[in-house]
Amino acid sequence: MTEATLIRKGLFRKVLRAILMMVSIAIAFFIFAVLGAVNKAFNAGVDVAAANRLVTVNAINFTVSMPYAYYGRVQGVEGITHVTHANWFGGYFQQPANFVQTFAVDPESYLDVYPELILPPEQREAWLTTRTCLIVGQALATQYGWSVGDRIPLNSNIWQQADGSSAWDFDICGIFTAEDSSVPTNYAMFHYDYFNESLAFARDTIGWMILTTEDVSLNDQVADEIDAMFANSPAETETTTEAAFSQAFIEQLGNINLILTSVIGAAFATILMIVGTTLVLAINERTKEIAVLKTLGFQSGRIFRMILTESFLLSLIGGGIGLGLAAGLVVLIAGAFQSFLPGFGMPLSVVWQAFALMIGFALVTGFFPAFNAMRIRIVEAFGKL
Amino acid sequence: MKQLFAVIGMNVRSIPQRAGMSIATITSVAFMVAVLLGFLAMANGFEKTINGSGSDDVAVFLRGGSQAELNSVLARDDARLIEVAPGIATDENGDPIMSAELYVIVDGIKRASQTEANLPLRGVQQQAVNLRQNFSITAGRMFEPGSAELVVGEGVIREFEGFELGQTIRLGSNTWTVVGTFSTGGSVFDSEIWTDLGVVQNLYQRGSSVQSIRARLTSPEAIEEVRAYVEGEDRLNLDVTSEREYFADSAGGIATLLKWVGWPLSIVMAIGAFAGAWNTMYSSVDSRTREIATLRTIGFSGFTAFMGTLIESLVLALLGGALAILVIYILFNGNSASTLGGGFTQIVFSFQVTMGSVISGLILALAVGFLGGIIPGVRAARVSLLAVHQN
Repeated sequence: MTEATLIRKGLFRKVLRAILMMVSIAIAFFIFAVLGAVNKAFNAGVDVAAANRLVTVNAINFTVSMPYAYYGRVQGVEGITHVTHANWFGGYFQQPANFVQTFAVDPESYLDVYPELILPPEQREAWLTTRTCLIVGQALATQYGWSVGDRIPLNSNIWQQADGSSAWDFDICGIFTAEDSSVPTNYAMFHYDYFNESLAFARDTIGWMILTTEDVSLNDQVADEIDAMFANSPAETETTTEAAFSQAFIEQLGNINLILTSVIGAAFATILMIVGTTLVLAINERTKEIAVLKTLGFQSGRIFRMILTESFLLSLIGGGIGLGLAAGLVVLIAGAFQSFLPGFGMPLSVVWQAFALMIGFALVTGFFPAFNAMRIRIVEAFGKL
Repeated sequence: MKQLFAVIGMNVRSIPQRAGMSIATITSVAFMVAVLLGFLAMANGFEKTINGSGSDDVAVFLRGGSQAELNSVLARDDARLIEVAPGIATDENGDPIMSAELYVIVDGIKRASQTEANLPLRGVQQQAVNLRQNFSITAGRMFEPGSAELVVGEGVIREFEGFELGQTIRLGSNTWTVVGTFSTGGSVFDSEIWTDLGVVQNLYQRGSSVQSIRARLTSPEAIEEVRAYVEGEDRLNLDVTSEREYFADSAGGIATLLKWVGWPLSIVMAIGAFAGAWNTMYSSVDSRTREIATLRTIGFSGFTAFMGTLIESLVLALLGGALAILVIYILFNGNSASTLGGGFTQIVFSFQVTMGSVISGLILALAVGFLGGIIPGVRAARVSLLAVHQN
């Protein structure tokens, strides 16, 4: 009989018990991995933020616009590499329920500020030169089945054209993707000029500006200079890093991180109790067997290692099943979630964390039973009835 | 019967002998029920706030197709045409009870996260207070029309910094003074900041435009008259809804989402707790094999052994469920939180642990206890009489 067989026999001494423990462990890791993936997707905006990218919004609130002239003035600020601007369109396709996240932007500078967005060269050319062009993110194009060459109308639930219509006609002349799957592509963009010139009201205003600095160390200086430039005007500005801006937006929804962490914590506290006590009990039951092994000449260290290996197996098998199920579920539903939780997928970082947790969990639950087993004294064990 | 009670008593009284495993079961059931109750408390609290906000006899007028106040723009003339619509109630002076309103989203600092979050600064006309149920000034006084004074909803004061009575606060480039706090009894409006309509139009360059007009109807049915009038008037392009409908349309999402997250999560946790309970009861039967065999030998039936085990499992699960209800009630009930609502501004709400959710939690706990106890129970009933000799 090899050591591996001994360990297997020990672990499955009571098959049902081993399976039940694995189910508990699998559930906890399933919850950990699914919620970890959700959390990661929620924080995508913070994670993909470039360190040298700043956002300038109206100091009243980011939903309040500012004069178009600001764009020209900010371009002159020292330490800036690129500046662009955007307006919220409030778009929908055919029916108000078919919400389409759409921005009116300055075509060229927008792509300069967001170099992670990829547009094939000929589509890029069309985007820069076609006034009615709409470029659509891959996730959004998939959702509505749009492709290059389609002509579609988008309605706005905010804006109206001078003729009273709230629909704009667009030619889809490009579909953009991103280098990294965690960068959202669930939105569309079109020319600011096409938007601005047809507006019935609120012409020559921009929603917000995004700019990149030459170096991260210049961020504070640039932000201060911009905000000082517009101080005491009717439209004061507030410039923050892209990451801080995204973080504040997530916080508006609520403390999602705390909620998810609490649930994961509850799941792990549960299995720690169940598996921890069961393993102690299981080893107690085996006192005599272990005494026999010792009588046969097994060293204490070897016993310790064998029992700990059992808890590792338990944790890795259970955790692996849970992780696998979670990954399967996330892949299965990721498509349906793309429109409102872009970048939803099973991130590698969560998988590594799960493995680290499995090892930690095995150590915590296995240490005491293994330690007890190691210290079993042959004489006392056989004296026990 | 006497046998049954004797065995159940023995089972339950011997729980402390298996303290570790029993506590593990109680805890796992408790966490599962706590997760369910936590999510339901958020969903119910949010729902209560929204549902308490709309009246049947208040009509909301918005630009046609705009769906929400935030997207709507109405002209001064629209208000004059609505004033003379049939079905609009008047006050003792014969003036229509209506208020043209406009809100600008401003930044407030959320206490919990110390980050900026959207708050509505709503410019209202005098009648606005008569258009909200249970409106009352709880401290200070109402703002003076024409001056940069604010009255702040109690929800805002709870969740945001810097809006205490007497404070001056900068919103954009304008400085305001908080002269009063108000309550509408926990509705959405408690999450708003109010001031005079004219001041908002002036300070935020909105000309004479407004976003919405609210008017009291002579009766809830009068909305049809108003609607017919609006449709027959070519100069108006408006959507008319009752305020209750308006909020019902904008509410659903978040509460539904919370329930859709809370239930599956707690059911998945229930599977874990079920495995734990099963495991515990198995160990319980194992450790009492001799005792059960002895009882069988002296004439106790297999059924009593089964029931003893099942009831023990149910008791453990019930203890866990009760523990969770107690802890969640003490820690969560009435807690204040806020999230981004339909108007793209924060809605402050209080967690509500409702009777319905408590019952749901107990049922889930009992289901886990029942399923976890049934197979070990069968095993207890089948313990062989020969097991008396086992050591």
